[in-house]
Amino acid sequence: MPKPLILLKDLAKKFGHTAAVDKISMSIGQGEVFGFLGANGAGKTTTIRMLCGLTKPTGGAATIDGLDVWKDRFRIRSKFGYVSQKFSLYSDLTVRENLRFFAGAYRQAHIHDRVDRMVKEMDLEPYRDARAAKLSGGYRQLLSMACALIHEPALLFLDEPTAGLDPVHRQQIWDFLYQVTLSGTTIFVTTHYMDEAERCTDVGFVQRGRLVAKGSPRELKQGLGGDLLEVHVEPPMPAVLELRKFPGITSVDLRSGRLRLHAADPQALLEQWQQYWPFPGLKWLGYSWVEPDMEDVFNAYAQGRHVQNQVQAAVK
Amino acid sequence: MNLLDSLKAILTIAYKEFVHVWRDRRVLLLILVLPPFFTLVFGHAFEGTATRDVSTMFLDADGSVESKKFAELLHGKDVLGALVEGSDSPEKVRKDLNDLLQNLKDTFAWKPWVGDPKGPIDLVRNGADAAIVIPAGWGKSLKDGKPIAMRAVLDGSDTNTAPSVQAVLQTALGTFQLNERYELIKNLPPEVVDLGEQLSPESQHEFSSSLTPWEFDTEILYNPKLLFVDYVVPGMVGLILQLVTVTLIASTITREREVGTLSQLLVTPLRQSEIVIGKVLPYLFISMFLIVGTIAIGHLHFGIKISEPLLLSVVCFLFLLCSLGLGLLISAFSKTQTQAIQFSVFLLLPIILLSGAFAPLSQLPGSIRIFSELFPLTHFCRAFRSVNMYQADFGAIAADLLALAVGAVITCIGAAYLLRTADD
Repeated sequence: MPKPLILLKDLAKKFGHTAAVDKISMSIGQGEVFGFLGANGAGKTTTIRMLCGLTKPTGGAATIDGLDVWKDRFRIRSKFGYVSQKFSLYSDLTVRENLRFFAGAYRQAHIHDRVDRMVKEMDLEPYRDARAAKLSGGYRQLLSMACALIHEPALLFLDEPTAGLDPVHRQQIWDFLYQVTLSGTTIFVTTHYMDEAERCTDVGFVQRGRLVAKGSPRELKQGLGGDLLEVHVEPPMPAVLELRKFPGITSVDLRSGRLRLHAADPQALLEQWQQYWPFPGLKWLGYSWVEPDMEDVFNAYAQGRHVQNQVQAAVK
Repeated sequence: MNLLDSLKAILTIAYKEFVHVWRDRRVLLLILVLPPFFTLVFGHAFEGTATRDVSTMFLDADGSVESKKFAELLHGKDVLGALVEGSDSPEKVRKDLNDLLQNLKDTFAWKPWVGDPKGPIDLVRNGADAAIVIPAGWGKSLKDGKPIAMRAVLDGSDTNTAPSVQAVLQTALGTFQLNERYELIKNLPPEVVDLGEQLSPESQHEFSSSLTPWEFDTEILYNPKLLFVDYVVPGMVGLILQLVTVTLIASTITREREVGTLSQLLVTPLRQSEIVIGKVLPYLFISMFLIVGTIAIGHLHFGIKISEPLLLSVVCFLFLLCSLGLGLLISAFSKTQTQAIQFSVFLLLPIILLSGAFAPLSQLPGSIRIFSELFPLTHFCRAFRSVNMYQADFGAIAADLLALAVGAVITCIGAAYLLRTADD
């Protein structure tokens, strides 16, 4: 475990009687790419906003590099960059004017050189004098990141940086994030995309304000308790609906034409079906064992099944 | 922290705010065109206070020589030759008489009589604002030594028209009476003159004095031509600028809150005070430009005198600073731009009515005047008029300047304090 940069201890935020963030404790090491996963409304954004000193925690505490995120918020502001969930730049300013403004706001020297360098690094050269409002979604996001990185912070918070982007731009943004980590920058990113969670060195699952799991993607997959059963059945769409009703199966995902089953005991299920196939309308074409991916992990945690599976794995 | 760094940060924000206004062409057009335009329109609207074109029904039920003569006078005809001839200073009397005739022509828009001259008169149904009747037998009553009163019916609903019509009628009648007296003296039989010359000189003088109208030599100070425009232009300029500053700046912070850039601003090391000062600066610059422009229109177009430009600049500067602070406070307090505009409107309404921009503050009851003191426009109007009309010096308006300065500081600090978090 690298030296911890961010430490959360029972961090909580209540809006009225609703707990948006419910006593989260964790630590994030220096140089890590930490993926913060969870459904909409799970408390991801509130957590980030507390860490950025934008909203006051109602309980617990968190520190960045030893400084309290609320009490010392004025002192730690120059240490991190923040890219918020929605596009939050000045749309009537040009790309370079936005960058120059944030460079000035972060009290940087040699603003012009710095802005020119950033424009080049971010492939924003052709748009440097275009108003931010005119940029496409992907370039807006690149510009937001450029503005958040203009002061070369050691930590970058990104709140769903790739939401709504096409795969090409998503790839571009992740490539850029890797480039940023090369200089030792720590990244705290929330996302909905599970393939992006795979790219993180460390992942946390938050559900209804609670942290339900944290670990590397590999650890979390192993926590699911072994491989998953994937069956090849025709026609697949009705099969999803039929199999979901079958006792012992908790959920069914359709992946590239195969049905991936989450079941308490898939081995027993397979043996049962090999003796007697209970669906006369569906044609059995075969099966295979597959390694779970982050989407499986996410589904399992989202449905609270991991506990059951872990018990099952322990029994085996 | 380094002062130079702070200054740079403030200029960074000020530049950005200026670009926002500069690139928003509609708002730019609005703030560059409307204030001068409103100054012209309002200025002309309130230029003269004289009651004009009062729709008046007139009936001469008498038809005597005297009544016809008085009717001609009311209609603006010069029938009072004796008055001028008999006077010791004919030029002055001629001038006063011409003023009166002009005033009569301006005041009345005559219309034919409808209805019973003795019964109750319904002005509204006949589309009139006033009715004047010379009763039958009036001419004769003057000769009989028992003059009967003429009848005037006036509409008192707007509180302005009736007194001014009454005044002009009274003046006309008084002047008419004076003229008749001169005619009487001119046509006196020689026996009476002889008799008069037998009186002691004291009695002669006393008698002569009693026949001459006694009058005030009135001297009007500060606004000698009684031009309402001189009084109202500072109020108007202040009101327009109050409106522009508050509504313009009220949306600046809330816009950033709505768009989400406020969060982005608050994670930078910018201090709240730097944000507030940086936001006020460009608007202060723009509104100073506007106030100078509108006052220049008042001076060049309406001929308003400008005395003590330096002191007036201080008044304008502090007033704008205080107004901008007020707008910024609204902005920091509101959650959305809509809310900010709503707050502004509700704040501006009492400011318009109670600040003394159009009517003297002394017409308001004391308990209401306490509220008036809370508005920057009240202090601006009082200080500006004191300097410009009463030639007041710094000491005389120090209290108002202090109030504006304190208001500016309190509102700006309040706005900075409310900025400390993006939400909650």
